[in-house]
Amino acid sequence: MNGRGLRSPASAAASLIVPLVLVALTAAVGASGTPAFEETVTLILCNLIVVLGLQVFIGNSGVYSFGQLGFAASGAYAAALLTIPAAFTALQTPELPKLIADAELSPLLSTLIAAAASGLLALVVGWPLMRTSTLAIPISTFAFLIVAYNVLANWDGVTGGSSGLVSIPRTTDLASAALWAGVAIVVAVAFKRSASGYRLQATREDEVAARSIGIGLMRERLLAFTISGFLCGIGGALAVHQSGVLSPTTFYFAASVTTLTMLVVGGARSVLGAVVGTLAVATVNELLRNLEEGAAVFGLFSIGEAPGLAAIGLGLILLVTMIALPEGLTRGREAGELGAIRRRLGRRAVPAGATGQARPRTVREPAGGLRAEGVSLAFSGLHVLRGVELELPPGEALGLIGPNGAGKTTLVNVLSGFQAPDSGSIFLDGADVTRWSPSRLARAGLGRTFQTALPFAGLTVMESIAVGAMGVGVGRRGAVDVAVDVLERLGLSEQAHRPAGLQPPGRQRLLGIARALATGPRYLLLDEPAAGLNDEERRELVEILLGVLKDFGCAILLIEHDMNVVMDLCSRVQVLDNGETVVVGNPEEVQADPAVIEAYLGTSYAEGTHA
Amino acid sequence: MTELAQSLIDALALGGLYALIAIGVTLIYTVMGMMNFAQGEFIMLPAYALYVLAGLPFAVAIGGALATGIAIAVLAERVAFRPVRNTDLSAQLVTSLAVATILQSVVSVTVDGRAQSVATPALVSESSQVGSLSVPNLEILTMALTAIVLGGLGWLLYRTRIGLEMRAAAENFEMARLLGVRANRVIAVAFAISGALAAIVGMLIVMQTGQVSPTMGLTPVLVGFIAVVIGGFGRISGAVIGGLALGALSSLLGTYLPDGLVPFRDAIVFSLPVAILIVRPQGLLGAASGEARI
Repeated sequence: MNGRGLRSPASAAASLIVPLVLVALTAAVGASGTPAFEETVTLILCNLIVVLGLQVFIGNSGVYSFGQLGFAASGAYAAALLTIPAAFTALQTPELPKLIADAELSPLLSTLIAAAASGLLALVVGWPLMRTSTLAIPISTFAFLIVAYNVLANWDGVTGGSSGLVSIPRTTDLASAALWAGVAIVVAVAFKRSASGYRLQATREDEVAARSIGIGLMRERLLAFTISGFLCGIGGALAVHQSGVLSPTTFYFAASVTTLTMLVVGGARSVLGAVVGTLAVATVNELLRNLEEGAAVFGLFSIGEAPGLAAIGLGLILLVTMIALPEGLTRGREAGELGAIRRRLGRRAVPAGATGQARPRTVREPAGGLRAEGVSLAFSGLHVLRGVELELPPGEALGLIGPNGAGKTTLVNVLSGFQAPDSGSIFLDGADVTRWSPSRLARAGLGRTFQTALPFAGLTVMESIAVGAMGVGVGRRGAVDVAVDVLERLGLSEQAHRPAGLQPPGRQRLLGIARALATGPRYLLLDEPAAGLNDEERRELVEILLGVLKDFGCAILLIEHDMNVVMDLCSRVQVLDNGETVVVGNPEEVQADPAVIEAYLGTSYAEGTHA
Repeated sequence: MTELAQSLIDALALGGLYALIAIGVTLIYTVMGMMNFAQGEFIMLPAYALYVLAGLPFAVAIGGALATGIAIAVLAERVAFRPVRNTDLSAQLVTSLAVATILQSVVSVTVDGRAQSVATPALVSESSQVGSLSVPNLEILTMALTAIVLGGLGWLLYRTRIGLEMRAAAENFEMARLLGVRANRVIAVAFAISGALAAIVGMLIVMQTGQVSPTMGLTPVLVGFIAVVIGGFGRISGAVIGGLALGALSSLLGTYLPDGLVPFRDAIVFSLPVAILIVRPQGLLGAASGEARI
């Protein structure tokens, strides 16, 4: 290993170690108190595992699920039923299959089975739910929570119905809870840093841009949803083995609000946030509870049954956080990214030395080019494209120009799968790709940029380029090599570890191109890459794009208003006006064509000059 | 035949109630893009107003409940939702969840965490003879109120200036603002109407169940959300159709489901609509919302 990674090694280590140390400290504090205090801390750690489960899905996807406590419930019920002594099972759950009823498994085995069951349930439930829209997921997961409650509360013979279960062995002690919390932290950090974790974070930062680099939204969400369900299952199993009792309300609405508050207060985007938020909210919660009762009553999960001051406090904390500190106490950063630590680590630039070795991969030799045949499209009666033909042969640069509203961007949207045409076909290297999704097209070698930069603001420059390679299936390490190469080519190495969202506009546009290049495209569609750049930046851009043409063998379709850029790069130019091709030819011919002048400047001007 | 007609009327009445809930959710969604979790508490608090004002003449209690619904909705908008107006949908959703939690726990602390029974006028629990059918007065009331609300909303949205402003804001909020629509006023009015609708729903639920509890708004708000989702986000017509469909489904399942499965009715009612979303993510008659912006 030459020490090159998405994060500097020290930063990566701190991001894992600091949360683990916090858990160890919490356990040490718990062990030093009364037995009752120790039990409280044990439950808080069980809670933390559930919150880490929420973090894996919500934090990385940016989509709120209100149903994850359903998986804590499934884990808790599974663990309870697998461990309740047979004598008690017959009374409480007479309809339970004999195999489960008679089972009296060890704590470890029951927790593992419970977690696996919850993970499986999350996979099965998530399969349809993750197919619903970003807007509908919070609602459909909320529906799942209520459905789960309804089933648990009414399936009397198997779950004990609304009265719940008792006589559950109390086997979770402080040490085991702390150990499992440590495991959960490692899982959450490992997922966040995996290629899949990065792909999911890219969808959180910008769904459209993520699809354009090959990322399949549903697949990434489903994986995180499943891991989240697995962790929530562990948390539920451990909690029920701590408290010894379980009812359908244990992991219901109130517990959902509690855990969600913990995550949001700490900062949902970071694992550290999940830990800090859990500890902070649990502390305030216990204080309020003591204030209210005059004596300690323990168990965070019992809020649903005894609402009061603590619940009001919880709601107020959540409200104030959302208004005043929406990114949470950690501002969504990991320990290695926090200001003070970061400064100490120094601003390491990415080491040089990989140029040319890790060229973005070429899946197969391009053959046939990118072709549009008779593409037409109307938006509620307005004809935006009328039978447009376009041909982009491998390795060539084609300029696409035309007045505003000519349909240029719409054509690029159709070519890249973001917009299905009403009629006509798109062919990529001979294959009909008309109905392909943007992500599938990206994986097939079609890259694109957008008129606005659409940066992955929450990722670093390095990460937001590497995720381009991950999007088309390159592994984490390979993606780093690709990113280093692209960074150097574009002169961005100095910025590697700085946040992508804080770059000046010109550089953000460059980043958009870098991200698309990292997918190893054979056809690159650029939508006004030079807009808003100054003269020097524009010259640099032309140099970079010439390099892309020459070294990568990548064809470019360029929408651009600046004719100088078009002339420098393109061997052919196609002019679009009012959804129709006016002319295709070499740049000089096109510039002199009367029809082009007419399209840009109007009929009277054209007549006046040529009469 | 009679049995079928009876269950259709039941379905229409429950559908009407659900439509009222869904309209309340949709109004707020259209003007500020927020799915409001606290809508359930906008339903719950007026119900408690009926409970608290039980000794007074019924008309006074109804007035009190309506005033409570409007006041709490407008207050919540001013205090909690205005500061997060420009954040994303998730942040707004979580904020409304916080408001819901606060309102629920305040009621738990000040009244009681458990359900309380409320006496309702005898008239609503009786039935009227319509032809060969005996229709509960409450169902007639619900259907009548739904019709009145729909008529009133239609008048407000299409015949008044504030209605025009609300429709403009729903189309394109920023543009409407630039053209002189007063955002704060439009949003406040939407919340007030939504609060009044919630109060009506709360009272109808009390008359049906005869009791109030702090968590009584939970299921209605989910009903409203799902109706809005299957109807297609942000359309009053979609909300009405979604509500009617969900109510009909629930009511018919209640009649025709085998006995063993009746306790799981809610589970089925809430699962089926999600199946619709898998086939049509944009809802039954929605234009795709949250469409890719490029």
